[in-house]
Amino acid sequence: MEKARISIRQLFVMIIIFELGSSLLITPGSMAGRDAWIAVLLGCAIGLFLFYLYQGIYQCYPNSSPKEYMDDMLGTKLSWLFSFLYILYFAYIAARVLRDFGEMLLTFAYHDTPIIIVNALLMVVSIYAVRKGIEVLARAAELLFGAMYLLGAIGLVLIIVSGTIDPHNLKPVLANGISPVLHSVFTQTMYVPFGEVVLFVMIFPNLNDRKDVKKMGMIAMAISGLIVALTVAINISVLDVDLTLRSQFPLLSTIQTIKVEEFLDRLDVFFMLALIIGGFFKVSLYLYATVVGTSTLFKEKNPSQLAYPMGLGILILSITIATNFSEHLNEGLNVVPLYIHLPFQLLFPLFLFIVAVWKKKRREKSKGEEAKK
Amino acid sequence: MPLFSKRKNNTDSKDKQNTDERNQEQQQEKERPVLISPSLAKNIAETKKEVGSSSDVIIREIKIGEQDHVHLAVIYISGLVDNNTIHESLIDPLVQDESIQNTHAIQQILEKTLPLGGVKAEKSWDKLFSELMLGNALIFADGHDEALICSTQGGEQRSIQEPSTQVSFRGPRQGFTESLQTNISMIRRYIKNPNLWVEKMKKGSVTNTDIALMYIQGICDEKVLKEVKQRLEKIDIDSILESGYIEQLIEDETFTTFPTMYHTERPDVVAGNLLEGRFAIIVDGTPFVLIAPALFVQFFQSVEDYYSRFDIATSIRILRVLVFFISLVAPAVYVAATTFHQEMIPTQLLVVIAAQREIVPFPAVVEALTMEVAFEILREAGVRLPRVVGSAVSIVGALVIGQAAVQAGIVSPAMVIIVALTAIASFATPAFAMAISARLIRFIFIIASAVMGFYGLILGIIMMFVHLCSLRSFGVPYMSPLAPFSSQGVKDALFRVPWWADEKRPESVSKEDKVRQGKDQRPEPAASRGMVNKDLEEGDQNGT
Repeated sequence: MEKARISIRQLFVMIIIFELGSSLLITPGSMAGRDAWIAVLLGCAIGLFLFYLYQGIYQCYPNSSPKEYMDDMLGTKLSWLFSFLYILYFAYIAARVLRDFGEMLLTFAYHDTPIIIVNALLMVVSIYAVRKGIEVLARAAELLFGAMYLLGAIGLVLIIVSGTIDPHNLKPVLANGISPVLHSVFTQTMYVPFGEVVLFVMIFPNLNDRKDVKKMGMIAMAISGLIVALTVAINISVLDVDLTLRSQFPLLSTIQTIKVEEFLDRLDVFFMLALIIGGFFKVSLYLYATVVGTSTLFKEKNPSQLAYPMGLGILILSITIATNFSEHLNEGLNVVPLYIHLPFQLLFPLFLFIVAVWKKKRREKSKGEEAKK
Repeated sequence: MPLFSKRKNNTDSKDKQNTDERNQEQQQEKERPVLISPSLAKNIAETKKEVGSSSDVIIREIKIGEQDHVHLAVIYISGLVDNNTIHESLIDPLVQDESIQNTHAIQQILEKTLPLGGVKAEKSWDKLFSELMLGNALIFADGHDEALICSTQGGEQRSIQEPSTQVSFRGPRQGFTESLQTNISMIRRYIKNPNLWVEKMKKGSVTNTDIALMYIQGICDEKVLKEVKQRLEKIDIDSILESGYIEQLIEDETFTTFPTMYHTERPDVVAGNLLEGRFAIIVDGTPFVLIAPALFVQFFQSVEDYYSRFDIATSIRILRVLVFFISLVAPAVYVAATTFHQEMIPTQLLVVIAAQREIVPFPAVVEALTMEVAFEILREAGVRLPRVVGSAVSIVGALVIGQAAVQAGIVSPAMVIIVALTAIASFATPAFAMAISARLIRFIFIIASAVMGFYGLILGIIMMFVHLCSLRSFGVPYMSPLAPFSSQGVKDALFRVPWWADEKRPESVSKEDKVRQGKDQRPEPAASRGMVNKDLEEGDQNGT
């Protein structure tokens, strides 16, 4: 796990898959109603700024793990606490994503199956992948990205061909002014999916080349922002705003409307599979971050061994965080963004970024020529 | 048995210190002297002792020279030597030559008498015996502590024939034989270049099998070469009977169903792979040559892809990958769709399938597993049965398993179609090693989709992809050039670009000399009337 090296192209693919993973499933920016797609785009813009912060911290300390540079910035005790909190954060979000996908599967195909079975199966595959290391995960992302891309393109063509898109559903644009959109941006879209990219702080140290991180990462963010916005716009234009907001999983509802020549019908199961690929990567990356974080924090020499207990913990957490789906959704919409996402995605990183830049400048001043190398 | 005791000594000495080793050698000396003795009688006795008076070891004692002063013994193994060479180029000249003096007999024979390509003098028994076992003749002379090794290898061998596996429509019709020398020469005939290097070694402490490592110096990656040499050196086994032994001893990952080394019977395949920067391992006694580093996509490529035009080759390659996936998931998809996701099936088809399945007493998964196992049995039996009874199997298979099972209501006709499709699909994969791994994984997928429908199936597929991505063949990622993606590599992966566009060797394999051909080789439209196109003046093209 330690010597793994991933290329910038793999990072690019992973960011896109990660961003699309669960955001295609739910409706990001649902508070903005008809203008959700604008909220997504604005959220993406803030996401780009957040990504700039994350990679900025990494660029100041290119050769050290997050724990190491937090040691340097905050002192060991405070950095230990921060790292520990971040591990809990990653584990909790992993559990949330796992729960999302479990609920989706129960709703769409396996009504009578206990959710723990569905979640456990996904977790088993994630544990297997995380044990193989980030390099393997990155390669699998490259491979499965192609499959997702193909399915996505087919889906788009089929929706267009079946003629259910009605662009009038998107009008009027900004009917209630910009304020609900901005409200949605600051409470929804900037955190999920865009702020979630904070996870990649754990992956940056594995990069084999740090030059293009900023450029490629931002392009990846922008592309995924566009895809998500397009998907949301299509959902609304197919289902109209009421149905989109009422549907638990609007993309799958949209797919259900596909009907081509009495033959291609009820394709939602197929696209459910494409979404599972995204969900698998999201859960795996969070699990990876948890495992690597824990191993550096507790100086465990063999990180891959931690995948089992951590995976099991996240699995149990995913069942226990909410007693039912409504509660889960409510937490996701009203509690998590403000009290969990905001500090972990914006406040802490912003603070760290300022400290990192300040420290770097001071180092450069004191060491002069050496620091330039 | 001296050979076995020698092996024991060798392994023992590794454990002990160097001083002990010397003692060991002395002990060995008591069993068999290291050097030959000047006495002919002793040498013959020693030989007989060593080979256990085996009947195929011929010891011919002759007396030659003026007044028959010179006592010689010619020792060879009948069957391994070429009889004509023994008679005409060895015994005959020796008997004819009367000028040989007893004092310089060995020297004279070596320098003058024998009209043979390879003759050399040797003193050590080890060397002499190993040469004897290769089919060379030994000449001992009384009073000399040196013996001659004469290259007389020959004997019966299978001639070069068309390969029985990897048949192609277009391309050379020759396949490897069991002889190492012939195989090496066949590859050399394709690559006439001094940079084609061959390193020979002996493996198997009892069988002493010759193994040749072949590569093109300057194209093959040095790191990979170092790695393979290291792995080959580590081999310590009593016998190597086929290249499969070597494959299993040096491959990267044992616990996988996917082959990480490629094997072939065709010299043109080996030549093509050597040119891409791979190495080949040729084992004496088998026509199957190992090639590595092997990539996943390589198992879907066939030689005629390179001989036929690129558009045809590309479409056939895509078909092969498609077919591979059909052979992997077809029964699993059937099980998942009929058990969990009936809504996915178009209504009319669903009605048909449901009507068929009405009389079947088993759930779809039992049906699928039974039929798949039945087919595997048929296939295995078909391979083993003598050709005369072979047709009986196909009758039994078609009638009993197919029609009768359906009529008896044990399986549904749709299931028979699925199994038949899967079976045909698994034969369409060009590499047997890959097809058989799909056969195994298919059963896992059937069970996965019986448990959780498409969700189980997709998790199985993700797991398979992750596993594939974790594999390496001699350090090269197995799924390259797809993952890690390489824009040069994909030119010849699932697609094949025209030859003129494929300027470089695949990135993941060849690290050294990468450029394969010159630029701007794209063929231009006809330069009729002997003129280059761009020189034609405007309007000329329309003239007669």
